[in-house]
Amino acid sequence: MTFRLLSAAVLAGAVVLPAHAAEPMNDLEIAHTAYTAGQLDIRYAHLALAVSENADVRSFAETMIRDHSAVNSAAVDLITELNVTPQDNDLSRALVKGAADKRAELMGLSGNAFDCAYAQNELGYHQVVNKTVEDSFIPAVTVAPLKELLTDALATFKVHEGHAEQMVSNLQCG
Amino acid sequence: MRLTRRRLIAAGGLTAAAAALPAAAAPPVRVRIRKFAFDPKTVSIKAGERVEWVNEDIAPHTATEDNHLWDTGELERNGSATLTFDTPGTYAYFCAFHPKMKAQVIVTA
Ligand SMILES: [Cu+2]
Repeated sequence: MTFRLLSAAVLAGAVVLPAHAAEPMNDLEIAHTAYTAGQLDIRYAHLALAVSENADVRSFAETMIRDHSAVNSAAVDLITELNVTPQDNDLSRALVKGAADKRAELMGLSGNAFDCAYAQNELGYHQVVNKTVEDSFIPAVTVAPLKELLTDALATFKVHEGHAEQMVSNLQCG
Repeated sequence: MRLTRRRLIAAGGLTAAAAALPAAAAPPVRVRIRKFAFDPKTVSIKAGERVEWVNEDIAPHTATEDNHLWDTGELERNGSATLTFDTPGTYAYFCAFHPKMKAQVIVTA
């Protein structure tokens, strides 16, 4: 239901999702997309550490790497324990494509322009990912430990969202 | 440390062991870190006593004194750290990774 919203917001209409992307996702697809969303945020953070000279932005990026790595490592543990393989899917592919485009855009920036673009993207990214995890993934997931992991992950991502909001406001991007 | 205390209790009987324990051997006061909060938010101890932080979240956290007087360092999931407080005072601390997480340790003489 809100899968389309996630894609639209993240990609800003750059990519039109195939119609069947709005069909319900199964547990393995949800696991894949949640994991992918974390990995993509880690890549954004590495870019920020390579470009930004702002201490707050850098410390936020370090926290994104630390937290998303921890959540995804718990996901790998769970996947290993359940002996299943997450399934790539249209939403994961759309996220990967959208993030590649955004990274290309960010790479053309520096200084305060980069910091603001990164911070605003982090805010928007966490907002849409959180909405999707909360409204779609958690209600849809059938395996209890995966639901539990997504719930813990959501608590973490919501803190990131608040932190990103603070960062945007501190940067006075206007 | 709790293991040590249990051994003492087993060896000497509850009353004797408890009476014989020096202040420093008292079990640490535990602060659980869960759902991005310190629980309890305030702990009060006597000088020479200890506080143990246990991280129950997936995300790593720290307990870092506001002026960096002391720091547990990074605590991973299920990781813990114990600090001894010898100097009375009110110590405000936060998580260096998630600065909105705040709490305090009150140490009395
Ligand atoms: Cu923290």
